[in-house]
Amino acid sequence: MIERKERKPYWRHTKWQMIASVVPFLILIVVLPLYADSLNAEKFLGFPLGYFLSAHGIAVIAIFTIASFVNRQDAIDHWHGAHEDI
Amino acid sequence: MSFTSQTRLVNPRLGAYFGIFASALVGLVILLLIFEELGTSSLWLRWAMLVGPLVLYAAIGVAVFTREPFEFFAAGRRVPAGYTGLGIANATMGATGIVAMTGVFFIIGFDALCLVIGGFAGFVVMGVMLAPFFRKFGSFTVPSYLGRRFDSMAVRILSAALMALPLLLLIAAELRMGAFAAGWLVGQPASLMIFMLVFMIIVTIVLGGMRSLTWSSCAQAIAAILALIVPVAIVAVLVTSFPLPQLTHGPLLRALAFTEGVEGLPVVEASTFAFLIPDDGFAPLAKQFTAPFGSIGPGAFVVATLTVMAGVASAPWLLPRTTMTPGVYETRKSLGWATVFFGLVMLTAASISVFMRDFLMDVVRAGDGADLPDWMRQLVDLGFIQIDTHSTRLALTSVSFSRDAVLLSLPVAAGLPSVFVYLAAAGVVAAALLAAGAAVGALGCILAEDVVNGLSWEPLPNEPRLWLGRIAIGAVAILGGLLALVAPTDPLRLLLWCLALTGSTLFPVLVLSIWWKRMNTFGAIAGLVSGFGVAVITILGGEGRFFGLDGALAGVLGIPAGALGAIAASLVTPGPSRKMLELVHEMRIPGGEVLYDREMRQLRLKKRG
Repeated sequence: MIERKERKPYWRHTKWQMIASVVPFLILIVVLPLYADSLNAEKFLGFPLGYFLSAHGIAVIAIFTIASFVNRQDAIDHWHGAHEDI
Repeated sequence: MSFTSQTRLVNPRLGAYFGIFASALVGLVILLLIFEELGTSSLWLRWAMLVGPLVLYAAIGVAVFTREPFEFFAAGRRVPAGYTGLGIANATMGATGIVAMTGVFFIIGFDALCLVIGGFAGFVVMGVMLAPFFRKFGSFTVPSYLGRRFDSMAVRILSAALMALPLLLLIAAELRMGAFAAGWLVGQPASLMIFMLVFMIIVTIVLGGMRSLTWSSCAQAIAAILALIVPVAIVAVLVTSFPLPQLTHGPLLRALAFTEGVEGLPVVEASTFAFLIPDDGFAPLAKQFTAPFGSIGPGAFVVATLTVMAGVASAPWLLPRTTMTPGVYETRKSLGWATVFFGLVMLTAASISVFMRDFLMDVVRAGDGADLPDWMRQLVDLGFIQIDTHSTRLALTSVSFSRDAVLLSLPVAAGLPSVFVYLAAAGVVAAALLAAGAAVGALGCILAEDVVNGLSWEPLPNEPRLWLGRIAIGAVAILGGLLALVAPTDPLRLLLWCLALTGSTLFPVLVLSIWWKRMNTFGAIAGLVSGFGVAVITILGGEGRFFGLDGALAGVLGIPAGALGAIAASLVTPGPSRKMLELVHEMRIPGGEVLYDREMRQLRLKKRG
């Protein structure tokens, strides 16, 4: 169980982790499709690159973002003693 | 091997059960393929393909009935992350997402990605910012969470009332899409099929509540994914010699781009906020597949992405599902799985549309309007496409596809046995039941817990509580069915309105309720009302052509309005009480007792004392 004095550092750590996970991802999903047309001149696995990155690329990045968040946040939980009792 | 208390909670035989279900489904398809070869009447095959899986879903739903409220409203909180993710991914957009998105990809190509990217972003935001805290809180419904978080029955009842509209829109959209597929499959009127789907939802969910919903929807999700993937995987083998259509349609796109250019398909540039998404009628190809922003302008693309993101992240039919996992860690993982399954479905839908365009291009390249291939005549007979026969030369613009029939057209175009078309239609019915069931379950629980019993924090005794839940679920299903009958609107549009309303109403309030402890009851009420009000006005204004903004993009005004309302009202009124602040601090820590469970335990102790 988390100690009372650990609550603030835990939440600060959690907030930074949230920002590190969500903000780059949101910037990417907004910016990447806007450059798809110019990227389409290049090819990857036979796909026009702009289309490939906007469809498959964002799917992979979303999965990677959640997977890394799950691992990092779990480490933060254990570091501050905020993890679930099992 | 050691077992923790969490792993013991999960049924270790789940994989075997769903393996048996998948095998039964595959067995049914193989059996029907044999019967088709033997010349059995197609009507029998069609009914068998519809009724066979329905019996299995109903059997699963009835077999897991329960008399425990904890099981009825939260599936016992022992649904593993993978199964939770499977259900969430398919309930997000349901049959509308599968059928309409395939057609939208086919007609406008790249621009359809705004909805897909919005879905991915919704899962990321839900997984990082909302779901783990909602799981720690442990409430069965979103209004129940908001009411307890702000210690206000007004917030609870108000949010329940505001959530009814988007949930009913989703139920109507899914029932209409499911009825379209079931009606086509067995040649019955769509209105009759809506009644059949409502009956199926009631039979499947009423006895076991969220427990029945969870396990039957896992089966429905497996059926929907198999039905979507198997025909296109076979087509991929035929066309590209590799059974991974999601990754192998790239070279086809290059050939398509060349032919589209030769055949004069335009590279158009839409205005910044144009949102020309195809409706459920017939439409020719609008633009070249990979060229962006021809039907949806760049501004509208970004706004649609963010609106869908907010709608998915705060969806009241998805969030309660994340509380059914064994813990906060599993909840985080479940959103990862949801992203995987959602990506699989959406990339498959995109590949279906590319293969279908490729088949169409082959015919157009041949160019003879009088000598159409058999599959095209078949599609005309089925009512899936219309061909302008006035010119002797077949051009791309002279073939119009029914948006919602593109998915069913692929097995016909590839010359696959008819059973694969029936399988695809049965998959659509499964997805419709899944998403409509999720919305019915969520709204039924809201009605029972937060409206009828909304003026008391203390739940009813077990037996009346369960019966109230059952009656509410039945009533919501019937109401949704009636709405589907009287609202002849495009299901995709209903889904987009639903997401815009949900995002505008709930997203700012839910996010701030966790990440800004200064928020108080007044802020919650102002955020809910301003977000909902602005979104409704924007949708009505957009549909009535009063604004230049499409109703589906209502989130661009609704979400900031909700956030501003919540922040401004919180700042000008007294801060939250010490009790409320302590609740927020506890909700932010994954460890310790689930807050809702603690409240119930304390209530029990108080009664005994």
